[in-house]
Amino acid sequence: MPNKPPRLATRLLHWLCPPHLAEELEGDLDELFQQRICEAGLRQAQWRYLRDVISLVPLALAQRNTDTVFSQNPTNTIMIRNYLKIAVRNLVRAKGFAFINIAGLAVGMTAAALIGLWIQSEQTYDRFYPKTDRIYQVYNRDTFSGETQAWETTPRPLAPYLAAHYPDIEAAARYRPTSFLFTTAGKHLNADGAFADPSFLTLFDFPFVAGTVQTALREPTGIVLTKSLATRLFGTAEAIGKTVQLDHTDSFLVTGVLDDLPDNSRFSKVEYLLPYAYFIAQGRGSDEWSSNNDYSFVLLKPNASASAVDAKIKAVTARQLNGILDDVSHRQIFLHPASRWHLYAKQENGQLVAGQIVTVRLFAVIAALILLVAAVNFVNLSTARSEKRAKEIGVRKVAGALRSSLIFQFLCESVLLAVVAGVVTLGLLLCCLPVFNEITGKHLSPGFGSWTFWLIAFAFVLFTGLLAGSYPALYLANFQPIRIMKGTFRPAQSAFSPRKGLVVLQFTFAIVLIIGTLVIRQQISYARERDNGYNQNNLLFSYLNGNLSSHVTALQQDLIKSGAAVSVSQSMGPMTEINTRQWGLSWQGSTKADKDLEFDRFGTDAHFLQTTGTKLAAGRELDVYRYPTDSNAVMLNETAVKTMRLSQPLGATIRFLSQDWHVVGVVKDFIFASPYEAVNPVIVSGPNKSVVLNWTSIRLNPERPVAGNLETIEAVFKKYEPSYPFDFAFADESYKAKFAAEQRIGVLTGLFSGLTIFITCLGLFGLAAYTAQQRTKEIGIRKALGASVGSIIQLLSVQFLKLMLIAFLIGAPIGWYTLDQWLAGYAYRIAIGPGIIVLTLAVATLIVMATVSSQAIKAALINPVNALRSE
Amino acid sequence: MKGTYLGEFEEVVLLAVAIRSGDAYGAAVVNEIEQQMGRSVNLGAVHSALNRLQEKGLVSSEMGGMTAERGGRRKRLYTVTAYGRRVLEEVRQLRNQMWNAIPGFN
Repeated sequence: MPNKPPRLATRLLHWLCPPHLAEELEGDLDELFQQRICEAGLRQAQWRYLRDVISLVPLALAQRNTDTVFSQNPTNTIMIRNYLKIAVRNLVRAKGFAFINIAGLAVGMTAAALIGLWIQSEQTYDRFYPKTDRIYQVYNRDTFSGETQAWETTPRPLAPYLAAHYPDIEAAARYRPTSFLFTTAGKHLNADGAFADPSFLTLFDFPFVAGTVQTALREPTGIVLTKSLATRLFGTAEAIGKTVQLDHTDSFLVTGVLDDLPDNSRFSKVEYLLPYAYFIAQGRGSDEWSSNNDYSFVLLKPNASASAVDAKIKAVTARQLNGILDDVSHRQIFLHPASRWHLYAKQENGQLVAGQIVTVRLFAVIAALILLVAAVNFVNLSTARSEKRAKEIGVRKVAGALRSSLIFQFLCESVLLAVVAGVVTLGLLLCCLPVFNEITGKHLSPGFGSWTFWLIAFAFVLFTGLLAGSYPALYLANFQPIRIMKGTFRPAQSAFSPRKGLVVLQFTFAIVLIIGTLVIRQQISYARERDNGYNQNNLLFSYLNGNLSSHVTALQQDLIKSGAAVSVSQSMGPMTEINTRQWGLSWQGSTKADKDLEFDRFGTDAHFLQTTGTKLAAGRELDVYRYPTDSNAVMLNETAVKTMRLSQPLGATIRFLSQDWHVVGVVKDFIFASPYEAVNPVIVSGPNKSVVLNWTSIRLNPERPVAGNLETIEAVFKKYEPSYPFDFAFADESYKAKFAAEQRIGVLTGLFSGLTIFITCLGLFGLAAYTAQQRTKEIGIRKALGASVGSIIQLLSVQFLKLMLIAFLIGAPIGWYTLDQWLAGYAYRIAIGPGIIVLTLAVATLIVMATVSSQAIKAALINPVNALRSE
Repeated sequence: MKGTYLGEFEEVVLLAVAIRSGDAYGAAVVNEIEQQMGRSVNLGAVHSALNRLQEKGLVSSEMGGMTAERGGRRKRLYTVTAYGRRVLEEVRQLRNQMWNAIPGFN
């Protein structure tokens, strides 16, 4: 037959029809097909063939029900029932192995599920607003002395300008974070929120509990609260029409109550919104195009392309700034889509590149590998124990089982095991989630109520079962019945068996994770123990609210007199943060490029050294009370002296903010910002008019209990400003918070390497137990011939140690390279020395020995008589 | 029509079986209809019509012998039963009767 009808259609026919019907129908189809090739051509014939087959479907289905005799359905279900029964019997017979398999799979699946939930939450960040795909944030970009930078604050007039001049932009909103003291009937509390244009609410569509988008934020004296803030203020969410007073000045009418903003929104910390118009009416901020202090969000029209809009608006700010800035040729604005705000917000050479997404990907890889390690356990144990099943396979094959039906049987078994493990996983998940949430600082929940969860869970279990079961199924189904039945059957024992390879794979992963855990730990403690150059204990900072700033001198004297503080000074901000940055400095011998140098600036009136505990390297410290000219004096840190190449820093004159400052002292370097970064040059300046010292730093009296000191200080503060609560921050606590992110990664890596090691050990334990059992006779003979217990233990452990060593040779370089990349992100970092590598080897050896030796010892101690008598 | 309703397509198929009497199987009926009516029909439609006709007792069928032209596959041969023939005649009679009743059409 030269031309064949479409294969797929024929197959469909055979699949649907009982055989007798298929014969007759196919005959008809074929005849018509050949005939039509002659009449209308091959194409047409094929097309008609397909149409005919489809038209036969209802007929075939109707015939199927009446002719059950020919259908193979019942035998299928009978076999499946048989498979399940055998599977359950096998599990019950070898309880130990079943336990190892289920425990390993369950732990692996739990780890993967936890990471999965975390990844899901990371990926939904800012992607759930109804108009997410049309929302963009406007970023600024410019080049400073050859270095391109992007930043997210923009000029105040930008958003209205964009909305008015570009038809592709449907709406634009300005947004500016703020913090206020709220007062309602005798209640005071501080809360974080933001000023925003009315369009902000239409952009993001935050759901209202009360009030509407149309009325909220329109009036300059209206405020929108979140449900939780409203409840805290008024004791009820029904707050519409009530008033709150902010900072003891203006009163606002509550015009809307929002549902609390979701955790995975960048605005989750926002508790209220104030009209942006109020911010302008206060005379705060600036309308200059050169001052970048506001966030601008835009909503594009449904069909507008972001890249086209990007190109159109690129030069908006540059045009406005022409003539105001020296060089506007590199000044640009660009759009950053909402879907990328959380995961792709790392600024690099003026581009926003992968940031958090790197961590997300890393954890995705870890999840996949943990699951793989758990699957490998199953593979190893089932192939190792294949001899036990060989007879069964032989009998089944002789009785006519096809290779495909054996594969199906073993897949059924592994899926059954995965289902049991899945049930255990659910339990583990419920137990672990609270702890995991604490570590990650999230509120993850699997959503047991939704059917998508169960669908995903089912798919996950099925996937795990197939992942673990497919290799053993293929391996077992390939056994040759004749060799099994003759008894000459020996499962694969080549020099390199896949099983050994898989054990090496498991160990490699475990070793990489061990190195990771050790390196991250060491890096964190290295940074934590870094001498930060000042005394963090008993040091606290407080903002000078309301009247406090006009009574500073009296306040300071009272604090000292009360005995609660040993030293007090004014400052620009808490010392644990960067207060402000200063550039454009010039001094004798400075070059034009030096103007781009950035200095971190602090301010003080006096007693800087005693209050903070920093050390003087040269000269004297600032004291405006003793030397009135010190208002215009500065102290430098050692790094600043080095950066400025000053050989004689004392008495030098520096110019910035259009005035001269003279250097009176040099302070030893101290670390205030990130402990992982190199020390920046620092200027500590006196309280010149342009410097606002509205914070106070207080060194508590170490002789007295902290709680008592705080009470005393609060009383003194209340004396001068009774209407504000006493808010403060401890230096040591703020400093510790800087370790949180690394701490989190450290704990997570530790946790997951622990789990991996646990799973690997389970598998190893199973293999060791099985080998020992297999070699019982050999060990008996060896012992009878005089082998010592030690040599037998060695015999059984050495093979596993060898595998571990191979894994170490592969894993150590991988781990070293990966962690070195991670450390490259830190300026102040450890070097991965041989110490860590040796420690890893020691830990791995110890783990292997601990796992294997119990089995080895057990086997070695058996009385050879018992081992040999059994025949 | 005495309780046996014959659809338009069923009637066509029944006629085709009668025309091809002795050699009426699925593909042959399809060919016959396509030639007579000049339109294409689906094999599925023909087979389900044949099934219905058989259920109504208008045709009977039996498996034929193997032939080389169909790759050794047997075919199901349909023949019009006596009852089927009577139904066809009744249909024809009814048609004629109605034609004759149209005024000024002779």
